[in-house]
Amino acid sequence: MVDQNSNYALQTSEVYVHYGKKMAINNVALNFPKNEVTSLIGPSGCGKSTFLRCLNRMNDVIDICNVKGKFLLNGNVDIYSPDIQVETLREKVGMVFQKPNPFPKTIYDNVAYGPKIHGIASSQNELDEIVKDSLHRAGLYEEVKDRMDDIATGLSGGQQQRLCIARAIAIRPEIILMDEPCSALDPIATAKIEDLINELKENYTIIIVTHSMSQASRVSSKTAFFHLGNLVEYGETGKIFTKPDKEQTNDYITGRFG
Amino acid sequence: MSSLEKRLAAEKRFKFYGMFAMTLSLFFVLILMYKIFSTGSGAFVRTTINADVYFDPNFIEVSSNSSKKEIMKASYVDLADQVINQNHPGLDEENFIKVREMYTRKFDYQLRDYIVNNPNVIGKTVNLDISASSDLDQIVKGNYPRNVPEAQRKINDYQLSILDSLDSKGKMSKTFNFWFFTNGDSRDPETAGILGALMGSFYALLICFSFAFPIGLLASVYLEEFVKPGKITDIIEVNINNLAAVPSIVYGLLGLGMLIGVFGMPYQVPLVGGLVLGFMTLPTIIIASRASLRGVPPSIREGALAVGATKMQTVFHHVIPLSLPGTLTGTIIGMAQALGETAPLLLVGMVAFVMEIPGGAFDPATGLPSQIYLWSESAERGFLEKTSAGIMLLLSFLIIMNTVAVLVRRKLEVKW
Repeated sequence: MVDQNSNYALQTSEVYVHYGKKMAINNVALNFPKNEVTSLIGPSGCGKSTFLRCLNRMNDVIDICNVKGKFLLNGNVDIYSPDIQVETLREKVGMVFQKPNPFPKTIYDNVAYGPKIHGIASSQNELDEIVKDSLHRAGLYEEVKDRMDDIATGLSGGQQQRLCIARAIAIRPEIILMDEPCSALDPIATAKIEDLINELKENYTIIIVTHSMSQASRVSSKTAFFHLGNLVEYGETGKIFTKPDKEQTNDYITGRFG
Repeated sequence: MSSLEKRLAAEKRFKFYGMFAMTLSLFFVLILMYKIFSTGSGAFVRTTINADVYFDPNFIEVSSNSSKKEIMKASYVDLADQVINQNHPGLDEENFIKVREMYTRKFDYQLRDYIVNNPNVIGKTVNLDISASSDLDQIVKGNYPRNVPEAQRKINDYQLSILDSLDSKGKMSKTFNFWFFTNGDSRDPETAGILGALMGSFYALLICFSFAFPIGLLASVYLEEFVKPGKITDIIEVNINNLAAVPSIVYGLLGLGMLIGVFGMPYQVPLVGGLVLGFMTLPTIIIASRASLRGVPPSIREGALAVGATKMQTVFHHVIPLSLPGTLTGTIIGMAQALGETAPLLLVGMVAFVMEIPGGAFDPATGLPSQIYLWSESAERGFLEKTSAGIMLLLSFLIIMNTVAVLVRRKLEVKW
C-alpha cells in the first residue's frame, strides 16, 4: 500500500492498535494527500480518534495502548522508529483537541509556548511576529490584539479553539490533526472554524475527526469511514456522501445507524 | 401519617440534630475561649511601682564613658538596694528584705537597661516605673485573695501595708507588659516572655518548610506524573497514607534516635526540631500535592505534549504551576499542625529552660507549645497567666496560618 509518491503527507498501512487485549484498530491503511483535508467519520468508539492520535503518537502516554503498523511522514520518515524523537514529530504534526484546552496563561504565552520550547524564534521581535502571524492565520488576531496579556481561559469557547489552532500552527507544522474540534462549539463558532480550515489547507495537510457528516462534506476533499476499528471505505468526499460503494457507509451517512 | 409527611418530619428532625450539635460545640468553644482570655489577659498587663531613681555614681561601677559591653557586664544590685533605701527610708534589715521582695528580682537588670539606653543618666535622678514582683502583681490584679490568714499569703501584712501606702500616694500603676513579647523565658513570671519560644518555633518551621516542601512537592510529582503505577507505587501510597497518621511522638523518637543519636546533631536546637516536624509534615504535603496534581485536567498535559513539549517541560511549565495552590494550602495546613505539635519537641530537647532568644536554627531554643507546657508546670500564679497568654498567641498564629491557606487557595485557584 505504501508507495513512494511524496504527494502524500502521511502514509499508513497495516495499522493495528490494541488497548490491553481489546482491539481498537484492525489493519487500517490510509494515505493523506498533501494540502488537502481528510475527514475521518464513523460512529462513536469506531477507532477514528484512536487512529488520529497514532499519527502524532499521542497514544504513547497511554500505557496499555499498543500501536503497530507503518507510518511514513513525507514518504520516508518512519514516525515510530526509535531514531525519531516524539517531540520532533509533534513539531511537524500538530494537534487540536475536542475540548478547547488553552493553557491558563496569557493569550500571548499560549501561542508563544511552542516556538519558545523549540527555539524557533531567535529574538523577542521574531517571537512577537510568530505570535502575531499565527493568530492572524487562526483568524483571531483582530479580536485579541488589544488584550494579548489577558488570561486565555477568559475567551469564548470558539475563540479558545481558534487560539488552540494558533498555538498548533505557531510551531509551523506540516500536518494538523483535529479531533472533533467543533463538538463543544455553537454553530457560529463552528462556521468560523470551518472557514478557517478551508484557508489553512493552503499551507497544511489537515486530518479531522468529526461526528458531523455535514461538516465532513463541507470541509474535506477526502473522507474515510471507520466502523468497529476497520476502515470501511475511503474516497472522494463527494462520492462517499452520494454514491458510497459499501452498504454500511450508506447506512451510516443516511442516519440508519450510528 | 402519610409517607411524605414522615419523610419531611425525618428531615426536620435531622436538621434539628445538626443545629443542636452545632450550638453545643459552639458553646464549648466559647467556654474555652472565655477561660483562656480571662486567665491570659492578665499577662499583657504588669504592675509597676513608681520610684525616684538616683543613679548614684558611688554605687555604679561604670561611668558614662564606658562602652556598652562594660555597662552590660557590670552589676547593679547595690544600686537597686540603694534605690529601695531612698524610696523607703528607715527600713531595718528584716523589713528591707520584705520591701525588696515587692520589687522584681530583675530590678538591677531594669536599671542596667536604662543606663545602656541613656548613658548620660549617671549622677542624675530620674522618675522610673519599676516592675513589681509577680506576687505583688497578682495581689494587685486581685488573683491572690487578701483576706486570708497571713501564713497562707505570699505577701505578708507588712508588705500589704507598704502596698497600701504606695497606692494612696498614687505610686502604683499598671502598664502594658511588652516584656511578654520581647523577653525570653525567666524564672520570674513578671519578666518571662514568649519571644524566645516564638523565634524557636519560627526557625523550626523555617527548617520544616525548606526541608518538607521541596521534597514533598518533587516526591508527589514523581509519584503522580513519572513513575508507572504498579505494586511498588501501591505500597508506597499506602505507606504515605499511614505515615500521615503516625503519632507525632514517634517522629520525635525518630529524630532522637537518628538525627541526634546516629548523625550526632545537637540536642535542643530548632534545626533538629524543624527536621522532625518536617518528617511529620511530609506525608501531609505529599498527599495534598498529589491530590492537587490529579486535579489538573489531562487536557492541559495533552495540549503541552501536542506542541512538542517533553514530559518534564509539560510537568514543570504547566502541571506544577496549576497544582501549586493546592500544594501550598496543604503545606500551610501541615505547617500549622507542626506549629502546635509538642511531643516531637519534647523528645529532641526543645523543652528546656532557655533564657536567651535564639539567633538561629543552631541555638538552643524552645518552641511555642513546649514553652506553654513548661509554664503550665510552674507553680506560680504568674505563670498561669503566661500559659493562657501563650495559648492565645499560639491559637492566633494557627488561625492566621489557616486563614492564609484559605486565601492562597481562593486567590491562586484557576477556574476552568
